Amino acid sequence: MTSTNPPVNEGPELRLGDGPTPEVISEEEIHEEVKPPEVSARDAANWAKSVSRLSVSDAPADAVNLNVTGRRVMSPIQGFGKMWQKTYRVELANCESTPSEIITVWKENFSKFWPERNRFFGPLTGIAPGEVALLNLTMPGRLKLSTGVLVLYADEESFTLMTPQGHMFAGWITFSSFEKSGSPVAQAQVLMRSNDPMYEIGLSLGGHKKEDEFWEHTLSSLASYLGAGGEVDTQVICVDKKRQWSKATNIWHNAAIRSSIYSMGTPFRMIAKPFRRT
Amino acid sequence: MSLSPLKASARHRDGIAIIDLQGEINRMSEEPLNAAYADATKQEVAKVLLNFDDVDYINSTGIAVIVGLLARARNDGRSVTACGLSDHYREIFEITRLSDFMTIFTDEENALTDVPA
Repeated sequence: MTSTNPPVNEGPELRLGDGPTPEVISEEEIHEEVKPPEVSARDAANWAKSVSRLSVSDAPADAVNLNVTGRRVMSPIQGFGKMWQKTYRVELANCESTPSEIITVWKENFSKFWPERNRFFGPLTGIAPGEVALLNLTMPGRLKLSTGVLVLYADEESFTLMTPQGHMFAGWITFSSFEKSGSPVAQAQVLMRSNDPMYEIGLSLGGHKKEDEFWEHTLSSLASYLGAGGEVDTQVICVDKKRQWSKATNIWHNAAIRSSIYSMGTPFRMIAKPFRRT
Repeated sequence: MSLSPLKASARHRDGIAIIDLQGEINRMSEEPLNAAYADATKQEVAKVLLNFDDVDYINSTGIAVIVGLLARARNDGRSVTACGLSDHYREIFEITRLSDFMTIFTDEENALTDVPA
């Protein structure tokens, strides 16, 4: 067998002192440059990684995938309307499950507990930080709304969903379970501002009530699933009464308007389908 | 999972109210944080600095507590800034877009001389 490796000693001979004079670094500079590596935070795996725009991979065939791809997530601060904190809580009396078992059940069956005609297309990998889920919702007046959420945070006893541009509200919803007075409690807490003036009007004209009913239904369904009865307690606090008029232009991304336009175009898309190139 | 209480204390320096935070920021933190804010704003101040130097854990409910405080301060006409965040939590502030509304400084000295991170 013959070797194809080049001879080791080929090339110019290098001697010590031939190169440029090395830059001298003072002791003070060394202290500035060399920092100890940051110890990885113990909750690092619980948070979504930084994303500038959302993207959806493997959307189910029956899901309408609109108003999510390319959108930015919105914190409650980026919204338009008054800021609300809504807390829905049910005490799971006679339930022997631990908070982490309750959250596991909740994550695995998340959409099952929702009211009819509202669909959550969760990621195949389950509710995990950084995943994006599609939502196909039915609004008052049977208006269809296609939007989504980012799983911002998830640990054994809680998970948080954050909404994108165009959603009814800017903010996040945290689902959690914990022990209180010896009984497990399940809780959904929304921190939100309506995203634009149109949604603000909609929320004032019954939208808030609908949203309360939505989460009360969800918690009641969860309690029933776990074999525990219990009244859902709802607490609503207005965190900031001011409307942020500088955010009125958020209406450009309004998912309700865009979903309606998409719905109106459905007959035309069906007619055009056979003529489309594959 | 047991939750550790947050310790929050207020002091003043160069006309800025500084709230020193120590421990974990989670759903139990609302009360101590609001109490420290009330204490810090007893005297007239336009700026509140949250010092995260000794915070070792923030979960999503903790972020919501901070948003609540931010909204309250904005309502009162005060600006809120932050310092002492680790790289990890600075990233969290960017993901949650808190950093859009809160200037983040590397440390207290930079915050007082207004040099952002």
